[in-house]
Amino acid sequence: MRQRTAILLLLPAAILLTVFLAVPYVTVITSAFRTPGEGTPFGEGYTLGNFGRIFSQWYYIGQALNTMLIGAITTLVTLLIALPVAFQLARPKLFLRGLAYGIVLSPLLVGIVIRSYGWTILLGNNGVINRTLRDWGLIDHPLPLMYNTLGIIIALTHVFLPFMILPIMSAVQGIDPSVPAAARSLGAKRFTVIRRVLLPLAMPGIQSGCILVFVLSLSSYVTPALIGGFRVKTTAVTVVDAMLDTFQWPFGAALALTLAVVGGGTVLIFARLTRIKWKT
Amino acid sequence: MSRWTLNIFCLLVYIFLMAPIIVVIGASLNAGAFLTFPPQGLSLRWYVTFFHNDVFLRAIGTSLWVAAIATFFSVIIGTMAALYYVHFAGKRKEWLRVALISPLLLPEILTAVALLFFLYGVGIGTKTMFGMLVGHVLMTLPFVFMNVSASLESYDTDWTMAARSLGAKPWVRFRRIVLPLIKPGLIGGTLFSFVISFDIYTISLLLKSIGTATLPIQLFDYLKTNYTPEAAAVSSVSILATLAVVIFVEKVVGLKVHKF
Repeated sequence: MRQRTAILLLLPAAILLTVFLAVPYVTVITSAFRTPGEGTPFGEGYTLGNFGRIFSQWYYIGQALNTMLIGAITTLVTLLIALPVAFQLARPKLFLRGLAYGIVLSPLLVGIVIRSYGWTILLGNNGVINRTLRDWGLIDHPLPLMYNTLGIIIALTHVFLPFMILPIMSAVQGIDPSVPAAARSLGAKRFTVIRRVLLPLAMPGIQSGCILVFVLSLSSYVTPALIGGFRVKTTAVTVVDAMLDTFQWPFGAALALTLAVVGGGTVLIFARLTRIKWKT
Repeated sequence: MSRWTLNIFCLLVYIFLMAPIIVVIGASLNAGAFLTFPPQGLSLRWYVTFFHNDVFLRAIGTSLWVAAIATFFSVIIGTMAALYYVHFAGKRKEWLRVALISPLLLPEILTAVALLFFLYGVGIGTKTMFGMLVGHVLMTLPFVFMNVSASLESYDTDWTMAARSLGAKPWVRFRRIVLPLIKPGLIGGTLFSFVISFDIYTISLLLKSIGTATLPIQLFDYLKTNYTPEAAAVSSVSILATLAVVIFVEKVVGLKVHKF
């Protein structure tokens, strides 16, 4: 096949991504500057009012900051949990490796609603954890695990852990075993080998895992809505409210856009600080 | 960290990963009217309730349809794009890859809002299932592309060269040589696409038309107001069905997951 005719292979994907992704993203940016409409998605005029409303009210600013904080803590916690697991899974001769791998993948196969639902059973005031602790006489009053930021972070950590473990694992698997062996033979201690050799070599996986988990946490709706019980709201929850309950479409668009820009900016700063090469 | 602390730590993580899934399945076997774990008495009554509940059955039907149609399109589009990407992209390879997996990198909530505006802007709206289907194709495309391109890159191009030198035309080469060789990636991509589509929430919520709630939406809606173990029964059936399909595919064709 010649280069010319070969481009036809790309055509359907190009059309799909242009018409239904690129163009809608342009549309949503302009829509965020429209006035609210009556019975229509947006009104006639253009305005900065939607953004003015976001940045003049502490409610929306605080909520966005809280959403960013939840994303950042979730990313950090998943990273700390994922690193040892990824290194263990990358070992080729691991006992029951297939099973361990299956367990890591399993959350991806179970719907996000079901997983969050499982956490409500575990974390609720009458949930498994609180009741067990009470039966053992360790606590008198239930620990506040649900309807707050803590519960959202616990559940999000679970939901997105595979997205951190898998890229780190494939990066670790790509490391030539003779490299850490050489470091050891030159007298490096175990900890030094990890810090100076293994972690830098696993860095591409760590970076893509962090970016993926952070972006997914910021835009996640189901988990914060169910675990937060609509008492703790993240920006994504407010966006859905604005779109579906109060029909303030331009405002919803402005809010989603603000979150995406702030989140994207954070990712870029993170990428610059860790000097990422854009290889996803 | 010694080897033992590492193993114990990992074991705890595996328990953490399995905990909510086990709890849901356990709670579904409750004999009582309230959601408790461990269950108070074992019974399948909530499964019976669920199998008589049209709302959930219809939602499962909708989900299966949407996942099947979306997967059909994204497998074709994604495989074609992967063929171009591996064999013809040349210098633009990196850019092309980022573009093709961009639906995964962009926040789903903004994509959903953007599609909603776009659909109303061009007058399609959400009266039909078109918008939801397009959203699902977009979100599943990266998974097909990643799986298929990974298996395309790992096979030996000498095979197609040999076929070519023996006079095989492009279509024959694709069907007789390339297709059998990339079968694992293709099946992995199809499976992933189907499972991902079955799980999509935000896009479905914003783009659904009236009466086309998918299972995740129906389940979430139910959970907002109800606390009976019926939701756990629905969830368990969904979990076990997925597990059955994955194990079946793994046993029959051998699954290779190229997710990243």
